[in-house]
Amino acid sequence: MRLVVEWHASAVVDDDGVQVDLLVWDGRGGVAAAAERLHAVGAGRLTPEAKRLLERFDDATPSVPTPDDGLPSPEAEHLALLDEAALFLAEQGVADAAGDLDRRIEHLQRAMDEVRVAANLQGSRFIEWLGLFLVDLDLDQDRVALARTLAAADDLGSFARGLGLAAPMHAPARAEWRSLRDLAQSIGEVQGRLDRLEAALRTLVDDHLPSLSRLVGPLLAAKLCVTAGGKGRLARLPSSTVQVLGAEQAFFAHLRTGSPPPKHGHLFGHPWVKRSPWWVRGKVARMLAGRCSIAARLDAYGGVPLDHDAVASVDAKVEAIRAAHPRPPKRRG
Amino acid sequence: MVARSSSRPPGTAMTERLRRGKGDLWTRSADPGHLVHGESIRRVNGVEWRRWDPSRSKIAAGLLRTTGDPLRLLPPEESHALYLGAGHGGTISHLHDLMDEHGRLVAVDLSPRCMRDLTSLARRRPGLVPVLGDARHHGLLRPLLPQGVSWIFQDVAQAHQASIFAAACSSFLRKGGTGVLSLKVASDRGTDADVLRADVEAVLEASSLRLDEVMDLAGLQDDHLMFVVHGGPEDA
Repeated sequence: MRLVVEWHASAVVDDDGVQVDLLVWDGRGGVAAAAERLHAVGAGRLTPEAKRLLERFDDATPSVPTPDDGLPSPEAEHLALLDEAALFLAEQGVADAAGDLDRRIEHLQRAMDEVRVAANLQGSRFIEWLGLFLVDLDLDQDRVALARTLAAADDLGSFARGLGLAAPMHAPARAEWRSLRDLAQSIGEVQGRLDRLEAALRTLVDDHLPSLSRLVGPLLAAKLCVTAGGKGRLARLPSSTVQVLGAEQAFFAHLRTGSPPPKHGHLFGHPWVKRSPWWVRGKVARMLAGRCSIAARLDAYGGVPLDHDAVASVDAKVEAIRAAHPRPPKRRG
Repeated sequence: MVARSSSRPPGTAMTERLRRGKGDLWTRSADPGHLVHGESIRRVNGVEWRRWDPSRSKIAAGLLRTTGDPLRLLPPEESHALYLGAGHGGTISHLHDLMDEHGRLVAVDLSPRCMRDLTSLARRRPGLVPVLGDARHHGLLRPLLPQGVSWIFQDVAQAHQASIFAAACSSFLRKGGTGVLSLKVASDRGTDADVLRADVEAVLEASSLRLDEVMDLAGLQDDHLMFVVHGGPEDA
């Protein structure tokens, strides 16, 4: 016995092809109800009519209708609802895309990168501009702190005095000083923006990728996730690919021209790799990529998140690799 | 907006709603006064013609490139049609110009970003039905297209394009209907164009589709092949 399910009606058909029961949607609920039925049929679930029929005939197996099943065509007024219901579903799907943390993390991550570029540009312009006037200014100091101090100063002379610096030989014109101070103020603001972006990203990644975030930190986890194209894709990548995520340019140059393959991409940003001597970085990155894959799969497929012991064991492994290779290899030939 | 008023419509007529210019096409807008993707328009006696750019639309490229009757690449005016891989709706809008509200054009795309543009297009254009979903899954399409379609177009740029297309044709394409497959060569990895072409022809033949024409869209759409098939399953 088959339970044939269509969005507007469902029927029970016995093995001889005879329709033994039929329920037709009465149109109650309008577009939203039609959309819900459409969604159910699309996802292979039962409509309310089908559920009621299944209560009556619990041995019927749900199946896709064929023309021989004798389901009535939808009434014209219900058919008119169908296209509207499809549009409704599509709009709901669009709205639901914001529930996808992959997309939100991508926007946060990219926005952060873009704001950081702006912050660095403004910071270096500011320090060079200011250094032109103040010859004994230390150009390598914390630019943001300096900018915040300057933004609160009344004029360049008092700012220099406050820092114990020599007074400028040429003072900026009034409008020029105001522009410099505006830039300083903007640097403080941009830094604040950057900090808030980073805080938001950390929170989201801790939630979305708890294991990976614990293993390599939320910011690196976010980079891996975004470059891979989402949590699901990251989990499906071989760890040899995870190892070079973020080094696509070098990797494809390797395939094209036979240049040495990259040993690490984003993973280089982790102290385990970055602070290792150069001759073990590849080994550490390869091991770490394997652990990242495991972590990503735990996160994507609902495993128990990695605990601190697991992270400590990776740390111990890094130490072991470093200890096993204390000297650089001899150059061949 | 490049709106020009003139006394003559652009190009020469192919149908009442479609005209062919020098290296481009023009459709008679079903939604006058509204641009879809920054296209040029031309107004003639209250009729608005929208330029259909063959370097931005595979169907437009195919219409210019085909050696047969170009009109067979288009959905019949009063038909049900299925478009897989609808993108932001540029091509869709021109097809809708041709069908207007007489037909039904079901437009499928996987990306919510694209769907956003398609839903706002559909709000303005009755007969256009957007579906957010995977072209490989027919669950939602079946109730929307109970009688099947007489025209299918696919442009999905993902692996296994040919079998996705063949599956859609066997589910939905009515006997005597037309299927048009735009194949991005780079989307099926590690094959060159000739091998891929032979593979695709084999897949199409195996699903009892009659191959009518294969076009290379190079120059208008690089690294794209276009396959035109007729048929649908024999017992449909």
